Amino acid sequence: MTPINISLLVFMIGLYGVTSKNNLIKKIMGLTIMNGSIVLFFISIGFRETGLAPILEKGTTSGISTTILVDPLPQALMLTAIVIGISVTALALALVVKIYAKYKTLDIQQLSKER
Amino acid sequence: MTKEMKKVFFIIIILAMTILFILSVDIEYGNPKNLDVANYYIDQGLHDTGAINLVAAIYLGYRAYDTLMETIVLFVAVAGVIFCLRGKR
Amino acid sequence: MGSSKIIRTIAQKIFPFIVLFGFYLISNGHLSPGGGFQGGVVLGTAIILLALSHSIEQTEKKFKSRWLNMLEKLGILTLIFLGFLGILLGYSFLSNFLPLGKPGQIASSGLMLFFNIAIGIKVAAGVSVIFYALVRYRGEI
Repeated sequence: MTPINISLLVFMIGLYGVTSKNNLIKKIMGLTIMNGSIVLFFISIGFRETGLAPILEKGTTSGISTTILVDPLPQALMLTAIVIGISVTALALALVVKIYAKYKTLDIQQLSKER
Repeated sequence: MTKEMKKVFFIIIILAMTILFILSVDIEYGNPKNLDVANYYIDQGLHDTGAINLVAAIYLGYRAYDTLMETIVLFVAVAGVIFCLRGKR
Repeated sequence: MGSSKIIRTIAQKIFPFIVLFGFYLISNGHLSPGGGFQGGVVLGTAIILLALSHSIEQTEKKFKSRWLNMLEKLGILTLIFLGFLGILLGYSFLSNFLPLGKPGQIASSGLMLFFNIAIGIKVAAGVSVIFYALVRYRGEI
């Protein structure tokens, strides 16, 4: 049971929330859970045994041994993914606020009835 | 969403979870393969960009386009939120 | 709805330190853990803390949402302008045209510090503008 398996489990929990919940807020919570699981998956892909954080010492010039640092590429990618997740969540919440102000409900079934 | 659709979704998700779980057993945790790119960044990142923090060297040096486009995404999201929730004026 | 006196006092006293920590994270982004996004979120959180502990109207007198909107556009325009400045000086788009300097000092690695400052200002203004827009909404369509 490594963090890679756990991240897939958490992703499926988020997918369950998105597909089979009726409330719109719960669907957005499912999206956020999926985002967090993807971040966990990428960070644990780049992990290396006995690896340090990818920040060099202050006095180094070049040519340090490459096996003591973890992979810095997935961390840089996830830095952008977190901010995009924040903006997606904010936009979805704004749309939900607008929907509630117009229809006075957040239930998917009643919303599809009203049209 | 009726009860049967919920049940079908639940079964599909359980099946997908099992398949992904079986596929992900092979991935070795803590010992990644294909490390050429990572080794290049760790070796040459300081020489190419001059930053100690290698994550900053990647997202502001090698892949600055990524950061620019991502900033534009945040800008568009803020504009959409303001457009949706503007007051009556 | 104002909160209690203890919360208001503690939030007012702790606010400058949060802002200082945010500027530290932004300006040391290429030397230590941190960077533009993280420091910007910390700065935005400071404004959110002030708005939640005091009332929204008092906070908006200090940090007007017009100015925050303009700061956000200024950040992204600075980023694009720095990118095109590289083309004017004979390099490619968004590439570094300043000397790299000694590794480990704050004036090293060329343009990275300015990128971090622009991104930090932009993210801080964006987070607080989203918060203002979500909180001030009163149900009128």
